[in-house]
Order: sequence, then structure tokens, then C-alpha cells
Amino acid sequence: MSVHFSHFQAMLLFSLVISVSFGFLSRRPPMERLKYILWSLGLFLLIGIGIGWMMYPFSR
Amino acid sequence: MTDEAQAAPIDVNDPRRQTLALGIGIAGWLVPGLGHALQKMWGRAIACCLTVAALVFVGAGMRGNLFTSEGGDAFATLGYVADLGAGSFYFVAKSLETNGPDVSRADGDYGTRFLAAAGVLNLLAALHAYEAARGRKA
Repeated sequence: MSVHFSHFQAMLLFSLVISVSFGFLSRRPPMERLKYILWSLGLFLLIGIGIGWMMYPFSR
Repeated sequence: MTDEAQAAPIDVNDPRRQTLALGIGIAGWLVPGLGHALQKMWGRAIACCLTVAALVFVGAGMRGNLFTSEGGDAFATLGYVADLGAGSFYFVAKSLETNGPDVSRADGDYGTRFLAAAGVLNLLAALHAYEAARGRKA
């Protein structure tokens, strides 16, 4: 078995899985869960991409 | 009057309840989602099982490093504890990684993180199931 992902795809999958898990564990009403999952996913991606750009000047 | 007000008060210090909660916590650790399933929290049980399974399958597929008990330093020991958090899925990951880990590429490095995250996430879910069984969380 072999799986290949780009950096962004790996980050997206990780963020999605963790957000879904946190959402189900921390919220009970379905709408609250959905809101939490989307909020958490958005923050994961925003902060991940933000840190990536912050490291860009030091990458060369 | 609300349902919460009508419900019988729960004695969180009841020894039988504590023992049952401990069993549920251990079951949740051994089989991801089982701790919640035993309490009929089906949504959480399915979510925990699927998310941990997804991380384990993808992590093993990316040929991440699955730590063993023979780690030489503190980081390897911590990695082993994190990996072991996935319970029985640790052995699933081991059986899936027939070619062994390959952390010379970014995929393998990501895979290592995925496997560790699966373990830590399952520990968190098992702890949640334990607390719910004790009556401290809904």
C-alpha cells in the first residue's frame, strides 16, 4: 500500500480529520458541531498557510 | 420543568460507576469508538473510529515511522506512547506497513505525524468516553 500527497493535500486531510473529531467530541447539537468543524478547519488552514508564508523568506 | 431538572442526580463518586467508567475508557482506547458506542453515543463512536482509522491508514500508506518499544531516546519513547494510543489500530498499522517506514521523503515524515496524531486523538476520545461514563461530560 502506498499513498502520495502534496504538502497542501496532507495538511488539508489532517486539518479535516482533526476538525471533525474535535467537533464531534466537543459539541452535541448538529448545527453547533458543523459550525465548530468549519471554524476549526478554517483556522487550521489559515494558520498553516500563514506560518508557511512566514517561513518563505528563510527558505532560500 | 426541563428534562435535566427531572433526571435523577448522578453520584460521580459511586465506586461501581468509577469501575464501569474505567472499563469504558480502556475499551475506548483498545478499539477506537468503542467507549462511546457502549454508552450509545453513536455519532461520536463512528466519528472517533473513522477519524482514527483514516489517520492510521493514510499514515501507514505514506510509510510513516511506527515507533517500537526499543527506542533509543526520549523522543522515540514519546513517539511509541503516542503510536500506542491508537490501541489495536497500532497493530493494524504495523501489518499495513509491509515495506517498513521511509522517512527520507516528505510523505514518510507526514505519515509519522499522522500515526502519532491517530494515537493522541484516540487517547483524547477514550478520556472523553471515561469522563462521560463518570457523568462529568455530556
